[in-house]
Parts: sequence; structure tokens; C-alpha cells
Amino acid sequence: MSLKERLGKELLFFDGAMGTLLQERGLQSGELPEIWNMTKENVIGEIHREYLDVGCDIIKANTFGANPFKMKGTGYSCQEVTAKGIAIAKHAIVESGKKAYAALDIGSLGKLLEPLGDLSFEAAYQAFVPMCTAGEHAGADLCLIETMNDTYEIKAAVLAAKEHTSLPVVVTMVFDECGKLLTGADMEAAVAMLEGLRVDALGLNCGFGPDIMKKFLPRLREITSLPIVVNPNAGLPVVVDGKTSFHVGPEEFAGIMKEIAQDGVSVLGGCCGTTPAHLHALVESCRDIPAMVLTDKNRSVVSSYTHAVEMDQHPKIIGERINPTGKSRFKQALREQDLEYIYKEALAQQDRGAHILDVNVGLPEIDEVEMMRSVVTGLQGITDLPLQIDTSNPTAMETAMRLYNGKPLINSVNGKQESMDVVFPLAAKYGAMVVCLTLDENGIPKTAKGRIQIAEKIIAEAAKYGIGKKDLLIDTLTMTISTGQENAKITLEALHYVRNVLGVHTTLGVSNISFGLPLRGHVNTAFFTIALSQGLSAGIINPNSEEMMAAYHSFCALNGSDGNCSDYIARYSKQSEQQKKGPEKSGELRLFDAVVRGLSDSAYHAAKKELENKKPLEVIDQELIPALDQVGQGFEKKTVFLPQLLMSADAAKAGFDAIKEHLKAEGGAQASKGTIVIATVKGDIHDIGKNIVKVLLENYGFQVIDLGKDVPPETVVEAARKHQVKLVGLSALMTTTVANMELTIKMIKEEFPGCKVMVGGAVLTQTYADMIGADFYSKDAMGSVRYANELFASDGR
Amino acid sequence: MRVDRKEALRYLGYRGQEIEGQTLQMIEEIAAELEENSSPKSIYHEYGCKVTKDMVKLGGLEIKSHNLSVNLKGCERAVLLAATIGRTADFMIRKYSISNFAKAAIVQAAGAACIESYVDEVEEAVRKDAASRGLYLRPRFSPGYGDFSLEYQKDIFTLLECSKRIGITLTEGNLMMPSKSVTAVIGLTAKERESCQMEKCSLCAKTDCEFRQEGD
Repeated sequence: MSLKERLGKELLFFDGAMGTLLQERGLQSGELPEIWNMTKENVIGEIHREYLDVGCDIIKANTFGANPFKMKGTGYSCQEVTAKGIAIAKHAIVESGKKAYAALDIGSLGKLLEPLGDLSFEAAYQAFVPMCTAGEHAGADLCLIETMNDTYEIKAAVLAAKEHTSLPVVVTMVFDECGKLLTGADMEAAVAMLEGLRVDALGLNCGFGPDIMKKFLPRLREITSLPIVVNPNAGLPVVVDGKTSFHVGPEEFAGIMKEIAQDGVSVLGGCCGTTPAHLHALVESCRDIPAMVLTDKNRSVVSSYTHAVEMDQHPKIIGERINPTGKSRFKQALREQDLEYIYKEALAQQDRGAHILDVNVGLPEIDEVEMMRSVVTGLQGITDLPLQIDTSNPTAMETAMRLYNGKPLINSVNGKQESMDVVFPLAAKYGAMVVCLTLDENGIPKTAKGRIQIAEKIIAEAAKYGIGKKDLLIDTLTMTISTGQENAKITLEALHYVRNVLGVHTTLGVSNISFGLPLRGHVNTAFFTIALSQGLSAGIINPNSEEMMAAYHSFCALNGSDGNCSDYIARYSKQSEQQKKGPEKSGELRLFDAVVRGLSDSAYHAAKKELENKKPLEVIDQELIPALDQVGQGFEKKTVFLPQLLMSADAAKAGFDAIKEHLKAEGGAQASKGTIVIATVKGDIHDIGKNIVKVLLENYGFQVIDLGKDVPPETVVEAARKHQVKLVGLSALMTTTVANMELTIKMIKEEFPGCKVMVGGAVLTQTYADMIGADFYSKDAMGSVRYANELFASDGR
Repeated sequence: MRVDRKEALRYLGYRGQEIEGQTLQMIEEIAAELEENSSPKSIYHEYGCKVTKDMVKLGGLEIKSHNLSVNLKGCERAVLLAATIGRTADFMIRKYSISNFAKAAIVQAAGAACIESYVDEVEEAVRKDAASRGLYLRPRFSPGYGDFSLEYQKDIFTLLECSKRIGITLTEGNLMMPSKSVTAVIGLTAKERESCQMEKCSLCAKTDCEFRQEGD
């Protein structure tokens, strides 16, 4: 029997620690253990032999940190150290004469992935590839991806292992005392993603001793259908004089592990601090305990990088707003790469209570694949909601699924063979839940029966790819009742059958029902409520519509899925108080006052109102700029506090948005006072100061090219050339990066002697600024506005 | 772990201006969101150390820094410490940079206040442990202060296994991610007199800094 067949059928044993034993044999703190593969091969082999002799079935080769990042500068390559590690392990197994397996041990790269860190997902993936190929080539029997604390890094490693080897893949993670990974992901999120990626076993290692790990297992057993691996430390590390030791002895360790085994697991072993003595005691006490019986937990889940969303009795809201269909402002944002507009839509829907966000960024005239890549990456940096990838372009779909940090929802597949042939392999590979439209080559059936038949066909086809019912979300298609009175009935009848007879979860794009009718909200809410009662699992709706959300929350309170009506009460108790008090009067403010007081909504509406009687330029010169000036001067005199300056800046921006919309409608555009390039210099990752400068400069009518943070000097020069600017703004926070600022200034001045450079940032002073050749030192954001105004006023544009 | 509201205000540049109710409420909301979602983690090890004029030997490291030598003068033991409040602050800053700029600035300030008070908490644990052995603490001293080069971050990270144990990593430029993180050296001395608090700011060359704190 192969390892894959044995996993989950009999209790197997991993070995214990390698690093701990190497330290006992003289490995120095800070020395890389993997190098001993090359220099002290015998020591590594001996340790393997000791573990094999006490009965371990799987030994971890000494390759944990053999990745290209850690091997850099050691004189050895990732491939040779990995291959040697496997060779030593295989040799030890042969010598022992036992039937055992050598695991290619893959640890964390020790770098943080984007958006938080500076390593891209693709770069992480590329770093794991040479380990996987070298490991399999050298004869590894499985890949063990372990001591992981970031689902995104795990995904990169799993994809590298799956795409470059045919080995079984086992993943073990380190959860903290709250049951979360360092990224904040809970166990449900990690399990959803890993089951989606079809790993062969998953579990826990390192971090704690068996006593604390034991507490996490009941929940893990509830949610995973896969074999569970448990590799704890010998207790918590105790450090004395830089020497780490662990204090749970072999008998105590084995005693708790026996309890764990009796409660049900598939593989047991040890991590830091465990020794052959621990493993001996463990194998002796657990040898005759049967492995946990695996059962399909049949959970329908999608996940983000922090949490999972499960389809269950409590229906879910899928926000539909990130979609250009019928929205000219959204189309404009896509054409102009105005991602901020899209992100705002995401955050607004999250605030309104969406559980999942649909993401559709397709327009014929843009590169949908690149847009999808940017938007999915960006959204993952600002929202923790799971995403529904909505595209008919298979390349865009795969790009998004690959980059997605979690188990996504895919929108959509349909009953056409061609569609299923394209979408199901992707869903099976990356692990997704799939929205299935009940239409096929013959169009949309006009009967409930016809749609049910297509649903059945899709279910059968998905099964061929190992995609179960739990990962399908069937859409029985909403058609407007304005063209056929039976339409609602057909959709609902099919929906009811799919949910209650076929036992598959359902979704609908709800608002189509009222297309062509007046006051569509009335019909939408009624239809939505009926659909929910017929078994709608997830409605694709506009969460910004209060009547839809009210229908939703009322339904949940009525069907019992909102326990104690607590969501309903939390959402509406405040509102009812406000209604008693009467509406607030802030909508009546003048634009000037709205900006000074920092009220964005009021500023937007006031600007709209003023534009009815005034020219845009008058509104800017008579209201917006004087208001900004007043707040700005107050800030410089220290009578206005920074957050208030920023609220005013946001409010002014809302006012300018109203003006832009007005101009757009009249076919004009706002004149720019001039273009300025700004950047945080190379090596520096602090950008909030630079972002404040950007917002203020934009408010004062400048076009700002923001190059972001950690920007190489060449990129700044390139942008200055491209946009022919006469002012560049640079920011640096660290003393160490002021050198890069100096270099950037030097390079700008060499090519464009006439171009001015203004600088700012925490470490800078006037003296420093003079020393590095800057033209202006701005001690705060308002200073940069003043300088830019003077510079552009003195000699026109 | 708590956000010290007064410190957060100081980082925001508060100098006694009038603050509107909505701003105060915003600060309160942000502080609460940060406190609820942050997961502070720390690790520290104690080593013997040897201090000469411009060199500190500590846990196998040889650190060339005059300022650190002065800070640790006379210490035979020292603690290396790393702490972080986790990734929430960075996430919130990105989120609010899109939806509400004032809130982004407040997270920045509240996060800075938060990590400082958390490191104070950790230091308090070190202090208690040291006191039980008759030792006193010198003021903590971090890479980047004076001539203590950021390059030593790499070695500190290896010694403390920061990435694996508490989830802080370094960028190419030796900056820490999550950004609200601290590493520091704390000298232990048997002589109470020498442990007197020396204000961190007194070492810094930026004498016109808005945030400079003079010794009491």
C-alpha cells in the first residue's frame, strides 16, 4: 500500500525534532541546520536512524529551511542541499531495513507576502519550486509543508508541490492560543482553503505542547474531512542564556498524545524539543490505537484570508456592486484605472453587511486579466470578505483564483459542455465553490423542470472532477416578470426543488425580477423574501439598498437563523431612536461650512446644489479653496488638529467629485494647475505622510502622479521624464533611506536641472534637506501646498 | 494591551487645539477597533554581554556602536527583545486610506501608541524578573537609535527567530513588517544608580522635532 492509501486508514507516526538534537550536537544559535547535510552528513543520518529504530513511519528530511532565500550566501544551492537532505534520509531508511517514508520538509520562507510584506505571491511560489523538484527527484515520498502561519504562503507552497511533483502533500500549521494563525486566519479559513486545494492531510505542529494542542482538536475534527496530523513541541520553550530547552518529558508527552489518539487522529509525531525517547514512548503507547475514521463533514464553505463563510440555514448576502453593467461611473473608473473607486464600493458594501463580494471588472476595451489581477490583489489588502470571482474570461478566472488568498466563489459555470469543460478543471485545481447557471446550449428553459434537469446535469458533470454538491451553488435564474407573468414562479419552483430535493445550495441575482417595472424596489424585496423562504442560500443583491437589507434582516429574524433577533436589534435599535429625534439637518450646510467641519456627504450635496446656480470655477474659488485655506492656516498655526485637517480634505474631495461629475455631464474636464510626481523613496515603506500630501495637492487642483512607496530612483526619473514635470516631492522616514533620497535628487537634477524637488518626512530637517540638495523642505503637508502654489503661480504652468 | 489615548493624541500632533466631538469619537472608535483586533506577541532572551568602548558582544553577536556601548556600560547581562501588535494596524491603515483619511492617520498614531505601551508591558515583566535577582534595567535601546545600525536587525531576527515565533519579518531595507513592531536591547546592571532613566530623545540629532521629549 502506498502512503496515500495508508493515510487515514491506520495510525502513522512522524518523527520528532531535528533542530533540538543538532543543538545538542553542537549546532550554534544562528547557524543553518540544513548546511549540516553537506558538512556533517553522518550526524543527520544518525538522528534519522534513531527515530526509525523507535518505530517512526515518516521521517522529516533535514530540508526545512533549504529554500533559495535562506541558502543565499551560504555557498550551497537550494537544490543541492535539498537533494542531499533527502538522500541522507532515504539512505537511513534503507540501512534500517524498515518500511518508512522520507518527507521533503518545507518550512516558511521567513518573509512576509504582499500586501503586508514585500514578497509577491508569484515570487514565493517560485522559491518553493526548486525545493519541490529537487526533493522529488532525490526520492522524497511526500511533501510536508510545516510550521506555517500564513495561508497565502501555504497556498504558494501547495501549488508548487502540486504543479511540480506527484507526491502526497501534508500541511501542518502553527495556531496561537486563540486558535488563529499569525495572519489572523482562523482554523475554518485554513481548512476551507486546504481542502479546496485537495491536500492529503492537514494538522498542527510547533507552537505548543500536546496539552494545549489537544484543546484545538475537537473543533478541527468537526470541520475537516481530511486525515489530521498532530506534531506538538515538548511543551513551551524555555530560554536560558540563549539556550532553548523544553521540559515535557517522554512519559508525560506520550500520556497526553495517547489521549489525543484515543479521541481520533491520523498521524502523530513531535516538533521542537521532542527526542527519540519521546517518540519511543509515543509509539509504544499508541501503536495499537486505530486511526480516526474519516467522514465527509459536507460543509459548503468559501473563505477569505481570515475567516470562512458557510452556506447554512442563515442565508448570505453577496454584494453585487463591483460590476460595470449599466453603470457609467464604474465603467469610467475601469477605463481610468481608478481602483480607489472600486475599493470604496467594496468597503461600503462591507459596512452595509455583505458577507461575500462579487467582483466583475470586465469591459471589452480593457485588459480584463490585468484588471482582475490588480483588483483582487488590492481588495485582499483592504477587506477580509471572501470574493466571488465573476468573469467569463477563463484566463482572468484562473489568474484571480491563483492569486486568491482562500477558497473563492466562482461566478460562473453553466450547463453548456464547453463551459463545464473549462470551469470545472480550474475549480478542482484551485479549490472553489462554483455558481452554476441553469442554462445550456438550448438557452434558458422556460419550465422549472427544464432548469432542474440542467442542474442535475451540472451536478453529475462536477462529480467527474471530484467536485461534490457541497461546492456548488445553483442559480435557477431570475427573469423579469415584465415579460412573462410565470417567470417568478418558474424560478422559485426550480429553486425550491434544488435546495430541498437535490440538497444543493442556491443563489439568485435577485433584482432582475423587476426589470422594466417602475419602483423596482417594491417587487425586488417581495421576490427576495419569497426566494429566501423557498430556500435561497445566498442572494446576489445591492446591500446599499436599505429596503433589501431590511427584508433580509426581517427574514432572518423570522426564520430563526438570527438567534434572539440579535442582529436585527443591533441594526435597527439605533435607527428607531434617530427616527424619534427626527432627521439631522446637516444636509442644509453651505459648502464652505461643510468643508471646514469635515462633513463629506454634506459637502457633496452642497456642491451639487451650488452648481445649479454657479459655474464650477466659482464654486471652487469662492467656497472650496477658501475653506481649505482656512483649515490649512489653522493647522499651520496649530489651532486645527491633524485629523480635522484630513476630514476637511476628504470633504473637499467629495465637493470636487461633485464638480467633476458636473463637468463630465457637460462634456468638459477640470483644468489642472500642473502635474507633480510624488514618491516615498527606495527602502522606505512608510507612506501615510506622502498620501496626506497627495490628497491636499489634489484638492488644490494639482494633478498628482503617485508612484507609491519603496520607489527606486530610476522610476522617479522615468516618471519625471514621462510627465515633463517641474516639481517632484519625495518622502523618507528613516535615516537609512535619506541616502536614497539624496541619490534620487542627484539623478533628477542631472537629467532635469530645472526640475524642483521638495522633501519631507520624519527624519528630515532643513539642514539635512540642504545637505542632500533639495530645493524645499516641507515640515508638514500644508507646506508642500504652499510651495507648489508659489512655484506654479510664479511662472505659469 | 491598551491604546494610551493621550499618547495617540501626542503622535497626532495634538498641542492643545480645540477638538470637536466627532474627532474624539473617531479616535475612540479607532482605538477600540485596534484593541479588539490586535494580537500582541513578544519574545525575549537574556544573554551575557561584554561591553567595550565601541563594541558590544552579546549572544554571539558583535555589535559595533558607540551609543549602544554607552547605554550598556558596565552591564554584564542584557536582554534582546522583539514585540509586535500584529498586522491589524497595517490592515486598518490601508483600509481607511481608501475610505476615510482622518481615520488612517488616527490608526497610525494609535498604533504607535499601542506598540509603545505594549513594549512597556513586556519590559515590566523583564524588570520584575531582573529585580528578583537584584538587577536593574537600563533604558531600552533599538537598532536605528544613534549609531546602532539597522543592519543588526538581521542578526537579532535570527537569534530570536522573530519570523517563526511572533510573525515579524524584515524587508530588504531592514524595516520591520508588521510596521507596529519593536526590537530592542535592554542592559541589566547590579547598580541601581546607573540605571537612571535617560530620555531616548536626547540622543537624536533632530533637535527641531515636533515630537521631541526633553528629560523631566
